[in-house]
Amino acid sequence: MKRILPFIIILVVLGVALGSAWYLTRTIPASPALGSQSPSTSQTPSSQGSPGAQQQKPPVVQGVPGADPPHVLGPADAPIKIEEFGDFECPPCGIFHPILEQMHQEFGDKMQITFREFPLVPTHQHALAAASAAEAAGLQGKFWEMHDLIYDHQNDWKKEFDVRPIFEGYAKQIGVDIERYNRDMNGDLVAQRIFADGKRGHSLGVKGTPTVFMNGREVPFENLPAEKLRVVIQNELRK
Amino acid sequence: MKKLYVVAALLALVGLADALYLTIEHVTGQSVRCTIISGCSAVLSSPYAVVAGIPLAALGAAAYFTVFSLAILTIFGYPRVALVLRGMVITMFAVSVWLIYLQAFVIREFCQYCLLSALITTALLVVVMINRGVRG
Repeated sequence: MKRILPFIIILVVLGVALGSAWYLTRTIPASPALGSQSPSTSQTPSSQGSPGAQQQKPPVVQGVPGADPPHVLGPADAPIKIEEFGDFECPPCGIFHPILEQMHQEFGDKMQITFREFPLVPTHQHALAAASAAEAAGLQGKFWEMHDLIYDHQNDWKKEFDVRPIFEGYAKQIGVDIERYNRDMNGDLVAQRIFADGKRGHSLGVKGTPTVFMNGREVPFENLPAEKLRVVIQNELRK
Repeated sequence: MKKLYVVAALLALVGLADALYLTIEHVTGQSVRCTIISGCSAVLSSPYAVVAGIPLAALGAAAYFTVFSLAILTIFGYPRVALVLRGMVITMFAVSVWLIYLQAFVIREFCQYCLLSALITTALLVVVMINRGVRG
């Protein structure tokens, strides 16, 4: 018995390891990279896991209010209301940025987009500075211009040691009052806005970025690639 | 010095759990999303995370399982297995040093779970070297 006992222990551990791996890979939904837009991706509404087949529809959530007023694009009576929780340093958020822009162009006035700050601190060292820069520009009515510049140049600044001069350069580019911008970057109002958005995110159960809600329901992460998000929006419009 | 091999087996189990978690993250694509607790997104989506089409984390899980098996066999008195175990741990430590270098200077992002794995491998190295010293 003593000769075979070690092999029994080894086999038990192997079984537990493989069983756990098998169980977890089946229970966690596979998430394709946002940028991957493979034509082989299934689009049939009846296929399992397709954006059309919303058998387990997430509940409508309210949460606590975020920063007021929020950063909004599009008409208030738009049938599709998208609320994105984003982190400017998060690579998938950078990939999602042009996807959302594309959807906004395609669906026009049928869509309203709200952006909420959700900097993942300390995972992303510059996320808070980026959020502050966008909010400081927002106080001068230039949030979306700054938002676009920061996302478009994500790869240019995220590896830098000091990002503040880079963001200041963007601020000059979009024509804000630099003195006020620098004051606001470190001011209470910007900090409070970021805090309020984060609080709202936590109350809605946001754990990562990008997290997107459409008409109060979370859009599963695997449905964020353009071709899937388009179907999700089209289905919502048909209701 | 059976106790030290028991410690090595337990360390290998922790390493196995860590590497399995990373493998599942990789396979299911969860690593693609940025999260509050994990900084692994950049590391796991880098080209260094895959070797010959196999996720590096899966190779790590296989290595930890091998170390666990060898430690168990040594505890039960199988001859010459300790030597193989020592060679395996030294190899894993060398790979860990390389991976830390990649994270620090090439990818320039750190993944906490990868760092945990490197810590476990270092502890394993200390354990098998102490054992070698004790045995002379």
